[in-house]
Amino acid sequence: MTVRPEESTGAMTVRPERGADAMTVRPEGAAGAVTGGLLLYARSRTLPLTVASLAATGALAVWAAHGLDAYLDPSRRVPVVALAPLLAAAAIGASLYSASEELDRTAVRPWWRRRLVQLLALTALAAVLLPPAVLGHVSSFGPPAMIRNTLGCTGLAAAAAALLGARLSWLPVFGYVSAVYMGAAGVHGGVVPVWAWLVQPAGEWDGWIVALVAFGAGGVLYVVRGARPEGPRG
Amino acid sequence: MPTIRVTGLHVRHRKTVALDALDLDFGPGVHGLLGPNGAGKTSLIRVLATVAEPSGGRVEILGENTGEQRRRGTVRRQLGYLPQEFGYYPGFTVREFVAYVAWLKEMRTADAPAAVERAVGRVGLADRIDTKVRTLSGGMVRRVGIAQAIVNDPRVLLFDEPTAGLDPEQRVEFRELLRELGASATVIVSTHLVEDVAAACTEVTLVDAGRVAWRGTPGSLAALGESAGAAGSAGDNAIERGYTAALRAHRDSGRPQTLEGTAR
Repeated sequence: MTVRPEESTGAMTVRPERGADAMTVRPEGAAGAVTGGLLLYARSRTLPLTVASLAATGALAVWAAHGLDAYLDPSRRVPVVALAPLLAAAAIGASLYSASEELDRTAVRPWWRRRLVQLLALTALAAVLLPPAVLGHVSSFGPPAMIRNTLGCTGLAAAAAALLGARLSWLPVFGYVSAVYMGAAGVHGGVVPVWAWLVQPAGEWDGWIVALVAFGAGGVLYVVRGARPEGPRG
Repeated sequence: MPTIRVTGLHVRHRKTVALDALDLDFGPGVHGLLGPNGAGKTSLIRVLATVAEPSGGRVEILGENTGEQRRRGTVRRQLGYLPQEFGYYPGFTVREFVAYVAWLKEMRTADAPAAVERAVGRVGLADRIDTKVRTLSGGMVRRVGIAQAIVNDPRVLLFDEPTAGLDPEQRVEFRELLRELGASATVIVSTHLVEDVAAACTEVTLVDAGRVAWRGTPGSLAALGESAGAAGSAGDNAIERGYTAALRAHRDSGRPQTLEGTAR
């Protein structure tokens, strides 16, 4: 840009105009409208609200862990480690809903990339926001357990969105987590069974395997099929 | 040269057959799709809009086979579709909703804002462009639906019950718009209102039980009604009588019927 005034006068008359064109039209027109389209997409999936919900869940988890004096007794962290991922998964599942499903099907680009990015980005955000609640000395129900449960619950919600519809995707996760939480209350000492992977200490392998399989299978199901239509043709 | 060519199209919904070995072609102009409830009109429109998969047969739009995943994008860029019920994110204004569809259609980003304003203007909602869609009346929402369908200046336009919810004046305006669009594009309009067909369509296809019952011009359907009037076909005007007579003849014969000279 600083070189141009020193260029030959013949080029001067043309180039500054082109430069001005590129400066004023392209960034606002092309790039601006692209982000405009993506912004509309993000709003149509209520992503701002979802991000706020995840942040609120993180804050709630910190408050709950403190209220339960969980830093004194690691086992008191179990409700936080089980319920915070449930709330996060419910928020992520709800964001997979599209109000304009029928028109979305006429999109020129295949949807799988956008679905994949949306699911991974929100899951990553939840996996960053929730663990601080259970930070502290190393324990069985610390950040690794929180991340494991976030992955597992989100996978269940994604599968439920694909099979039942996004707006009801929280229901199976809620039912499952409640059942595990109540069922596992009867398990004292001994080995926590695989179905109760949510309340397993983070050191157990099989809990991680179940959570990763749930996330992988649920994620693939959602990314390939999308949320089940809930409109008149649902 | 037809822009849409359908051969041996089969569509099933669970155990019921919606469309049965349908062969049809459509060229530029406005085509009315008439038929009783459950005849298969919406199924046909949805398959043409590439939102539903047929269980058999071939659909070619603008020379591209829509059965091939890779070809669909090319077709969709040039396609406009108004579903019977389209949803919209409740927070969107008219401008945002139509811009969202323009984005789905991968319109050139520099052209999109002007195209959105033009489309909204064409349906007479320019003064409401920054109003939330959810606050509009039913008829206005329908017009927003029409605006999103035409935003990309499509070469193929599919309208499913576009005039439902429009008042008589808006319907007259919409027919005018249809005629305008039909001058260059292939427009298919599914409707129950024979007045729309008589006023705006260049050709009529009557569908019954998943098959083509009759094809011809609105004039020839009216002529059929005139001759059937004496035979006691139900209907308040010639074209309605023609509609019932053609349906009855199709059901009696049990196979597709075409009129010499009027069918494509």
